[in-house]
Amino acid sequence: MSGRTEGGAVECRHLSLALLLTAASLILPTPALAHASDRGHVLLLPTGYYLVGGAFAVAVSFLVLALLPAESLDRFWRRRLPLFAFGDVFRTILSLISFAGFAILIIAGLFGSRDPLSNPLPLVIWTLLWAGVTLLQGVFGDLWSWLNPWIGPWRLVLRLWGGNNEGRWHLPQWLGCWPAVILFFAFAWFELIDPAPDDPARLALAAGLYWLFSFLAMLAFGYRAWSRSGEFLTVFFSMVARFAIVERNEDGRLGLCWPGAKLFAAEPLPTSGIAFLLLALSSVSFDGLSKTFFWLGLFGINPLEFPGRTAVVGSGTFGLVLTFVLLAAVFLLAVWLGQCLARSDHTLGQAAGLLVWSIVPIALAYHVAHYLTALLIDGQYALAALSDPFALGWNLFGTADMQIEAGIVAGADSAWWLWNVQAGAIILGHVLAVLVAHGFAWRPHPQPSRAALSQFPLTLLMIAYTVFGLWLLATPTAG
Amino acid sequence: MADKNGFFDLSKTTLTRRTALKGLAAGAGLAVAPGFVRYSQAQSSAPIKIGFQSHRTGIGAAYGRWYEKTTAAAVKAINAAGGINGRQVEVIIEDDGTDPGRGAEVVGKFATQHKTDIVFGTLFSHVVIGSAPAAGENKMPYFVVSEGHHVASTKLNRYVFQPGITDVKSQIQSMAPWIAANAGKKVTQIFPDFAFGYDHRDYLPPALKAQGAEVIAQIAIPPTESSFTKYFPQIPAETEVIYHVMVGPAVLTFVKELGEFYGSNRPQLFGFIDSLEATDINSPGLEFLDGSHFWEGSPRYAQANDSEAQKAYRAAVGIDDNGAAVGDPKDVSTAAHMFGCWETLYVVKKAMEDAGYKGPEDRAKLVEATEALTEFAEGPEHPQGPKTFNGKIHQCFGIQNISKVEGGKLKVVHKTKIEDGLYEAEGDYTTQAL
Repeated sequence: MSGRTEGGAVECRHLSLALLLTAASLILPTPALAHASDRGHVLLLPTGYYLVGGAFAVAVSFLVLALLPAESLDRFWRRRLPLFAFGDVFRTILSLISFAGFAILIIAGLFGSRDPLSNPLPLVIWTLLWAGVTLLQGVFGDLWSWLNPWIGPWRLVLRLWGGNNEGRWHLPQWLGCWPAVILFFAFAWFELIDPAPDDPARLALAAGLYWLFSFLAMLAFGYRAWSRSGEFLTVFFSMVARFAIVERNEDGRLGLCWPGAKLFAAEPLPTSGIAFLLLALSSVSFDGLSKTFFWLGLFGINPLEFPGRTAVVGSGTFGLVLTFVLLAAVFLLAVWLGQCLARSDHTLGQAAGLLVWSIVPIALAYHVAHYLTALLIDGQYALAALSDPFALGWNLFGTADMQIEAGIVAGADSAWWLWNVQAGAIILGHVLAVLVAHGFAWRPHPQPSRAALSQFPLTLLMIAYTVFGLWLLATPTAG
Repeated sequence: MADKNGFFDLSKTTLTRRTALKGLAAGAGLAVAPGFVRYSQAQSSAPIKIGFQSHRTGIGAAYGRWYEKTTAAAVKAINAAGGINGRQVEVIIEDDGTDPGRGAEVVGKFATQHKTDIVFGTLFSHVVIGSAPAAGENKMPYFVVSEGHHVASTKLNRYVFQPGITDVKSQIQSMAPWIAANAGKKVTQIFPDFAFGYDHRDYLPPALKAQGAEVIAQIAIPPTESSFTKYFPQIPAETEVIYHVMVGPAVLTFVKELGEFYGSNRPQLFGFIDSLEATDINSPGLEFLDGSHFWEGSPRYAQANDSEAQKAYRAAVGIDDNGAAVGDPKDVSTAAHMFGCWETLYVVKKAMEDAGYKGPEDRAKLVEATEALTEFAEGPEHPQGPKTFNGKIHQCFGIQNISKVEGGKLKVVHKTKIEDGLYEAEGDYTTQAL
């Protein structure tokens, strides 16, 4: 059905096609109409000042925090504004509705329009879920634990056929969330490297099979166990939700808290958790990097005549792995150096497991900056597509014929606004990361000077990552 | 909309723009739908299926969006007027990701899965070149809207046509008489150092020479360059015209820096609007272009002497007098190129009607009928202007517009003749077996 699965003939032709292409490129003129694009407007902005200013802001926040007494900070972050209690009864119903919606989307993916901007499946998965829900989780807390399409069906199956909440088998402790790390890598590869992740049928197969696989794993190992160690979306979303300003305590009472305040209650993550968070940040970073003239230039690819995703599968896979390895190495080095400077007797694993939580606001900031324009444009396409999921001429929500206003991200004025929002998010994310790291530093190092020293290398890394993040938004890119 | 069995029935409804474009369902869906067989018994009522190989994602997406809008408008107009041979037209969009490898797969899908009558609509040349072999292997008529010289070079195959937009060789050649007569005789070219630039590098000098002018310098800029000041001292002092065809995100920077280099005392500037397609001509940094000239395939801005056909075309596609989307003035169209989608679909209509086309078994007849076409009169079906068609090289030839940037708009100051862009055929597709 999808390009990849439709038959060996197509696959077999690839080599000869590549040869033909190369030959054709040599003998034929190949005009390419690279669009001047909105990045062109950003190139005219004084982005250099932002890079310097961003680095300065992160450095200053580190210095200011170092001077503040630990107790006052702690008191500040512990403040809560209680709201109302919210029972658990709707969780199953909401999840069942979500599952039904998901099933409809899969059917739409298989049998609806072939156009990825008219079919609701790619728009919902990539734009509303991956770009949108991540941000909602970061602001409003763990909505995913209510909306995910597994818990409802899982509870239903247990009720109808009986079974153990804890599943038939137990996952070994050492496994941590390594399955989620592997599955997240597969997801990131599909999103960033696969030639056609937007193809509705291809995505329907991938998403449908993933749902089934996860559901079977939840039946086998229990919902709770698998959603903590294997189901990568739940692992990711629950980590992101730790940053949110809405908290729900064990009695079901909702309350408001400061951004990131919930992180302070977090326990150190195991090695697999460290890897997961670093992979989440490195993959979105690589997505930005992979489109830059700089990266394409390294592989001799002309960005003005970008040869398409099928031509960069190898370099993309390499880059995705390399970005993760580099980020992990630099992060661990920074934590290790901090431990040395503070003469800490905690293990590297303990310190890194705690401090890696400071990656959450950075990952969120990258997410905002990276997906902002997609949300603004593809979000509109999604609204239109949802009104007519099977391309049958329906208009369920009255949005099927809405005009897609691509102009909201076009032109110099929009470029200025978007740049400022994106740059602001990146800088704010890193300042908050410094804050979170600072809050954690007090735990192993009650002595202020040692706490500050232990943070110094990590702060340098965050300054560097701020500059990197802003550079990704400012440098010329393909497309 | 649905028949009594609950199946959607195209024959009983008028296609809206949306349903026409989205297709009723994928081939996969139709193949398993029990109601599908009805068309095999009554093929005359089945829609003509056009596979739209669309740059929905990838670096061509900005063009792809407007190609989709133009195609939707043309299909709506064709269907409203009774369709093709009395049959409605249904467009099935597949995204090629602006990716040659994916493009070839998509052509294969159209042939084997969707079983479309033709494939249509590709813009980026490397995707055309990558997909053409698949079209040939599947004996699938492949109508591109690319403006590349690849079709006319006769190095592709007999199934590939470009009847709705002139090729770049013709475009460049037809600029030479006006440049030599109005802008200056000594021309310096600045172009990106890859195939797109090479077309201009190779085709302009002989065309200018024939007009008594000359290219005195050619400055190739590496594609990854984002600052250009260091190249400007290479421009000879005696230059009367700078012919520039930069593309990509650094175009605005290029113009701004060129302005800073020259100040108010500059040579004449002549460019191709490809540099600024889908970009507001009044963007900061582009002030230096005021008074300069551009090639335009079809004018972005409404002109005082626009024909009724041009006005109707603009209204149907939904672009305002500034060439932006109606109701969304910042969404600037790709007006110079997208008219080709409209005109190509009308050529397909004409060729299918000439061939008495009934279904995929008549694809060879469609190829021959298209090759037999010779000219297209200006009018609602060809609002950009009259064209001739050379069936041997599968390429049309038409008029070009030269527009001056004036008061923040592009005003057409010259329309070339079709003859200005004619050149000797480089081969003959009709000698190839079908």
